[in-house]
Amino acid sequence: MSNGTNETPVVHMENIVKHFGTITALDGVDFTVEKQQVMALLGDNGAGKSTLIKILMGVHTPDRGQIYFEGQPVRINSPRYARAMGIEACYQDLALVNLMSITRNFFLGRELARKIGPINWLSMRKMNDLTRAALADVGIKIRSPAEKVGTLSGGERQSIAIGRAMHFGAKLLILDEPTSALSVAETRKVLTYTLNAKERGLSVIFISHNVRHVYQVADAYTIIRHGRKVGTYAKGELTEDDIADIIAGVREC
Amino acid sequence: MSAVATRRETKRRIIPESPIAGPLVTLIGVFIIFSLFVPHFCTLRSVSGIINAAVLTGTVTIGITLLMIVGEFDLSVGSMMAMGAFLYGLYTVENGNPLWALSLALLVPGLMGALNGFILIRTGIPSFIVTLSTMFIYRGIVWLYSGGQMLQTIEQVPIYDVFNGRLDFIADAVQGANFRTAALWFVGLVFLFQYVLVRTRFGNHVFAAGGNVGAAAAQGVNVKRTKLLCFIISGALAGFAGVLLFSQFKTALIATGAGTELTAIASAVVGGALLTGGSGSILGALLGVLIISMLRTGIILLNLPFIPADNFEAIVGVTIVGAAIFNNWVRGRS
Repeated sequence: MSNGTNETPVVHMENIVKHFGTITALDGVDFTVEKQQVMALLGDNGAGKSTLIKILMGVHTPDRGQIYFEGQPVRINSPRYARAMGIEACYQDLALVNLMSITRNFFLGRELARKIGPINWLSMRKMNDLTRAALADVGIKIRSPAEKVGTLSGGERQSIAIGRAMHFGAKLLILDEPTSALSVAETRKVLTYTLNAKERGLSVIFISHNVRHVYQVADAYTIIRHGRKVGTYAKGELTEDDIADIIAGVREC
Repeated sequence: MSAVATRRETKRRIIPESPIAGPLVTLIGVFIIFSLFVPHFCTLRSVSGIINAAVLTGTVTIGITLLMIVGEFDLSVGSMMAMGAFLYGLYTVENGNPLWALSLALLVPGLMGALNGFILIRTGIPSFIVTLSTMFIYRGIVWLYSGGQMLQTIEQVPIYDVFNGRLDFIADAVQGANFRTAALWFVGLVFLFQYVLVRTRFGNHVFAAGGNVGAAAAQGVNVKRTKLLCFIISGALAGFAGVLLFSQFKTALIATGAGTELTAIASAVVGGALLTGGSGSILGALLGVLIISMLRTGIILLNLPFIPADNFEAIVGVTIVGAAIFNNWVRGRS
């Protein structure tokens, strides 16, 4: 309870088990994210971070375990369902279509359109205006909404994915290694957007294998290793080096 | 001042970024070169000939381009074209119900396209293998349906004029301008599908599914349905090419349309479509078929000793590679 609130958590995952064939990816993991909390999900490559998040996004279904969203037990069986509840994920490579414009990416999957007969005609001008306004609203400046995403820098791309999730009313934002390929300056920008999102009332799961990427913004850390949870720690409970050691398995906790 | 500079920069970036920039430059270049060296090339007679010759492949290319943007392609369109030609031919000649003939000629190839898409989605086998197989299978169905016989008629059914009538008012106004209604149908389809691609939700999903499947699926785009629809549209367009073909020649052979799939892919590439998906345009496809058709006419009229009309395919090969390199270069500059 890093924020000291007694509110129901946004998400509570209980005793999650997932096997792929003979491999046990997750072995009874509990994971909780409070309201308006930036929760860092840390672990080495292959620790089970992605599997846990994919279960939350409805990409995989757990073999055992229960998920509660805002206190209600839920069965998340598709990404569409997860999104409808207000869970938005920004994956590193899977966030945007580089060959398409900012506007087309922003509204992808929920384009504004007028239905004439069987055909949905896009309202491009309206979407362009809304994209520019919505991104400005969350503090992201763009040159032109018609610009192709592929011409933007990594940080700009990440910020557009975050801005999109914020605009479409996400309650829980999942950032999958958002800064691992970015320069120092761009990383700082993405961290600012993360804090903006929190200020606006969102909860954020920040996935990383490197604690240095999240130490400044995270309210709490959950560390998993070999499919098991090592523990959840509040900000200030451990130093950066302590956490790095636990992730690597140098130190047991 | 900086605002002006940015705007100019944006403009400069958008022009070469347009997918038709490359093919448009190629088309104009080829036209100018032939006009300089080939007598009577820059006349309405030769231009109308170039357009008429481009219509059949062009109609198929619309569908192929759509498929290439969504990240797939279809080698069986030539066989579907033959199927469309036979269905349309038999039902216009024997039963004499032109609407029924037209519907079947669109519906059956459309279903064949749907089957291609269905196999691809269900098995995950690449479209190259799936449609290479169905190319032979559908040709076999054409053979069975036709009884191994070619179909020919000398009847003049009114619907043939709908799809291949002479546009007399142009021919009267300008001597030698032999435009056909088929060209109007083709150009109409080009603009329809260009508009659908750029201005509809379906079109948006086509670009997304071809550009980045993962991102599209993560945003809730139904990738499978989008691909299936592209296969169906491409099949129906191949069937329609068969309709145009039979209206023009009043003949359907078992081998009708064989090879069209490759010329169509070539035209789509020359027109700026990426084989890896996510990029291309139907207007570019129009330019692509016109470039290839123009080269054919130009080479024939040039009558070079080492490239007679029969050896034209070599020129197509050179064009594809050249256009692909050129389009990449134009794209890379933006």
